[in-house]
Order: sequence, then C-alpha cells, then structure tokens
Amino acid sequence: MTKNAYDFNNLNPSATVIRRLDPLVIEKPRAPIHIHTYGGETRFFKGLAEGRLWGTYCDNLDCDPSGREAYIHLPPRIYCPDCLEKMEWQDITDVARETARIHTHITVLNPGAFNRVAIPCQLVSIEIEGVATVLMSQLMGAEPEIGMPVEPVFNTSNPTFTILDLAWKPR
Amino acid sequence: MIKFTERNLAPPKQMRPVYVVAAGHSDFRKRYPEKKTEELCVEAFRMLALENDLKISGIQELKGYIHSAFYGHFADHFGDQLLGEALIHDRLGLDPLGNVGIKTGGATGGSTVWMAANAVASGYSDCVLALGWERMDEVDTWTGNHYISTAADKDFETELGHIYTGYYALMAQRYWKTFGKSSDAFRRTMSKIAVKNRGYACSNPFAQGAARLTVEDVERSPIVADPLRFYDCCLMSVGASALLLCDEKTAYRLSDDPIRLFIAAGSHTLRTADRRHMDIPLLPAELDNTDVKRHYMDLYGDGETEPYPGFTGFLAARIAAHYAYNMCGIYDPMEDLDLVELHDAFTISDIQTYEDIGLRPYGSGPDYIESGDAYLINPNTGEPGRLPSNLTGGLIGCMHAVGATGIMQVGEIMWQLQNKWAKFHAPEELWERFGKEKPADFEDLQVQGARRGLAISHAGVGSHVTCSILMRPEALIKK
Repeated sequence: MTKNAYDFNNLNPSATVIRRLDPLVIEKPRAPIHIHTYGGETRFFKGLAEGRLWGTYCDNLDCDPSGREAYIHLPPRIYCPDCLEKMEWQDITDVARETARIHTHITVLNPGAFNRVAIPCQLVSIEIEGVATVLMSQLMGAEPEIGMPVEPVFNTSNPTFTILDLAWKPR
Repeated sequence: MIKFTERNLAPPKQMRPVYVVAAGHSDFRKRYPEKKTEELCVEAFRMLALENDLKISGIQELKGYIHSAFYGHFADHFGDQLLGEALIHDRLGLDPLGNVGIKTGGATGGSTVWMAANAVASGYSDCVLALGWERMDEVDTWTGNHYISTAADKDFETELGHIYTGYYALMAQRYWKTFGKSSDAFRRTMSKIAVKNRGYACSNPFAQGAARLTVEDVERSPIVADPLRFYDCCLMSVGASALLLCDEKTAYRLSDDPIRLFIAAGSHTLRTADRRHMDIPLLPAELDNTDVKRHYMDLYGDGETEPYPGFTGFLAARIAAHYAYNMCGIYDPMEDLDLVELHDAFTISDIQTYEDIGLRPYGSGPDYIESGDAYLINPNTGEPGRLPSNLTGGLIGCMHAVGATGIMQVGEIMWQLQNKWAKFHAPEELWERFGKEKPADFEDLQVQGARRGLAISHAGVGSHVTCSILMRPEALIKK
C-alpha cells in the first residue's frame, strides 16, 4: 500500500500554495487515514471474502411484530430494531442464489471523489425471499431490469473487506 | 420501529404560542471567496435586525431581547471548522448567551427552527435566534459529492460510488417504474419542476441558480445518476440565513405583524435498505376518504406488490406532516394552505413529497404540477395557482447551503404572509448589493392575500424531515 510522499505531520509553512491574492485564497492539504472497525458486523464482511452472505434475525418470541414471513435483516443488525435483543446470524447465500431479484437499479456515471467501483457502475437494490430489507449493491456484466433474477458474486481472490466484495450477476 | 401507538403519534404541543417576526439571508453562491462564513452570517443577521420593520432603535437593542441561540451547520468537514457555532456566536457578539449547534443533514435548517421554536414554546426563552449556514466551496464538486455521500451508511452505501444522487436515484427509478410507468410524460413532469423552480429563481436576488430553461434543456442536461440529470438536482451553495422567534408578548413588542409558527419532525432509517413494509399513517383528510383508502389498498395491499413506504414514499415527511397538521388543525393542505416551500433536492423527490404531505394521494404526485396548482399563475388557465410551490426557486433554483436552507424557507414564507415579498426581492438596491442587475423579466411573486404557508426540510434519503406551518394570527384554524 502506497503512502503519500510527504509527511502531513510536518507540513512546511513555506510550501503554502496560493490560489488567489485578493481575496487571499490558499490551499490547506491533508490526507488523514482513519482506522475503522466493523465490530459486531465483522462476520458479514469476513463472510463476503469467504463467499458467504450473512444476514441476521431476531429469535425473541416476545418481539412485536413477530411471526413475520420476511424476517431476515440484510444489512445485518447486531441488535433487533424492534426489541433490541441481540440478533442471530443466518447464512443466506443459498437462498440468495435461488431467489434474489432486482428491486430497483440505476447507473452511476459521475461518482464522487475516492470512488473505487468501475464506472459506469450499475447500482442495484436486491430483494431476497425471507429478507425484510432491500440491500444496496452492484450488478456485473448485464443491463439491469426491475424483477431480474440475480445471484451473488463474491470477490474472494483479492478481497477489499468492504461491501465492494459483493456483486450480483444475472441468474 | 414499524408499529406505532397513539402515544407515539400524539399531536405535538406548544405550551405557549410561537411567533416568527424577522428574517434575513446573505446571497447564495456556488463559490464565495470574497467573504468568510462569519461575514455571511453577520450579514444575514444584520438584514434580520435592520430591514424587518422591527420596533427597535438598532442592533444593540435587539440583542438585548435575545435569550438563546440555535445554529444550524451540517458538515464540519465541508467548512473545515469544528464548533463553528461558537465562532459565529462570537462574531455576532452574543456571548454569554447559551447556544447550541444542530445538525440533521439536509434538514439541518428545519431542525434548527424546530429546536428554536421548542425553546420559545416551552417557556425557556422569550426571544430566540435561529441562524444557519454552509460553506461547500473549499473543495471541488467531486470531493463535495464524496463528503455528502458520507452522510449515507459508510460501510453499506458510501463505498458504492460515493455519490448521494445515486442513492436517491434508486428510489427515483423505482418510483418512476412503479407509479410513473417509465413514461415520457413522467419525465416531462420532472423537467417542468426544474423549469419552474429555476424560473422563479430569476426574480430572487438571493438566488444562485436563476435560469430560463425549457423542458428540452433539462432533458438534454448530463445524466448524473439515471433518471436524474444535472437540472434535476439541487445546487451546492455557500451562504447563511437567520430567523427570529418570540413568544407572543415579545413578538408584538418587536413587530406589528408577527406570524404564528407550528413545527414538527419525523424520521426514517438512514439506509433505504432497512425500510420495512408498514401501514400508511393517514393524514386527516385521507382518514375520511374511502376512495383514497381503497386506492391505497390497491396500491400497496399487504406489501406483496409494493411495500409502503418502500422506495416510493418518505415516511419521515408523512410523519412530520401528520404531526404538524394535527398540531394546528390543517385538514386538507390544498384547501387550507396558500403556498409551500418544499425540499426539492431532486425533481423526483419533490414529486414524492407532494404525496407524503397529502397534496395528492400516493401515486398521483405529478398531477400537482400538471394541473397547474403548483404555480403562482396556473399555466393551463392563466388564473392564480391553487397552492404555489417554491417561489424562491427552492433548492434547485435558489440554493442548498444546507444549514441555512430550512431557515431560508421559513423566513421566505413569513415574508409572503406579511405581504413583504416585494420589499425583500424587488428593490434594485438589493440586487446591486449582491453584485447583480435586476432582470428585465422580473416577476412579482407575492401570493396575494396569503394567510398560511408550509415548509418542508428534508435530510438524507428521507432520514429526517421537519414540517413548518406558518399562519397569520387571524387565520388560525385551531383556536
């Protein structure tokens, strides 16, 4: 991994770049690195690198609304949003392979800075049987359509350990 | 939470009436190197103090009334200044009064008004300043888009393109395909909103995005995230806006024409992914309308065909309107209101909001534009429109200096209800103050006889929404 060439902890004041003299406009460079934890969601992001899709569900029988047909949360949640009991993990890779469909989709042509997905990027929202939520993700190698059956593709060879390790292709 | 109790949805209470008496803005620009943020905030406050016919000898007398201050500033990383509220408070010379910074994304301005109003309503303060700003020009547009995208879930959304417009467009596409049937007519309605709002901005000296566009101009503009094109999207802005809120006694001491303010807020999940199907919270007029209720059953049923609010509605806007209407007695907003300022972050979210706040039933939003109701002068009939929207130009035509936006909207509605629109938009001196020439095709956008207005301030892909309702005191519905 390459680092920036100059040390941001020791900026040289004489290196100030002036953009404009009146009004006086100067550059203020920085490139801080954040150390970010996935905490309790670690299983999800490690799972992508292992080719598995993990959701969570609430097994508290007193949770209201309970007995729902679609009960799995994807993105996973550590605590149930209704009763705040800790949720259980469930591997939903196979059901995603069999039932996932595109709920909605768009094409991103002009991404923001620091974007790492290939442009144009097909952004899709994915509905899966038994899942109460609609995951945002990316589609590979096809023109998306609402209702299109899709299956997950995992980046297991050189994982980024981000949501970009998951994509979908037509089924 | 997808189940609500009556307690959850009880109409909010103000323990005593809240009034707005004065407002002020800086002008708004994409880039504003000529002035520091502090200068823009002081200028907005000076306009509030000196140009609203307040019964005071000058700024120092007004400062003698203010008891606490609420500052709206969303993005510390844009402005590159933490604790900006302390800096602005100092430049306004309001130490040692208590103050607080408020941030709820795009709804920051609305939330600031909400908190300020609650301070008056509770009895904590008799006179309160709400002031908001944003500085979005320290970085280029694409870094700006990245910064905005960090207001999505950074692990599950931001990585996917670093572009908020994309996250919005997923909703837009679903709405378009479901309710718009992907039709050219629906695309044209979206374009008409951009044409309308950019056009109204031409008569607003504060506005940044004035342009006389055609539907074709909008449809030829570059795609940002399909179906949203450049002109479907709001502006990125630098500027400030201020509002003065008072209890009844102080309001009439300071002003001969104070305006009543009711305000409420709603919320929904940050990630659109997490929006589970639920029953529609019905607005007052919908509760009595069996046709609408049947229509909603057909549209959503048990959520098998289309979940509610899913990707087609904003629950936060619906809930904010639900609270606000029940708080002040609005039954049918089309009948009871005279103008609105909506949060047109995107043309399509503007249409979705028409439905969320009951200007049209779900699925029929485009009719608000196509009927001509949304215009000052209905283009179909040449008669006054029923409920003109975004006469400032809105976020598409005027500005979206995030922390200022919701405050600007409320201030502009107040001026309309005070019949002072011309005073704050027509004078050539005002145009010159902002380095502009008053255009030859300037239009008078005062809504004649306006008594009640509404403003919606909206964050995220619908994470926070406030609904402000302003009424002339003689036009209250709930006594």
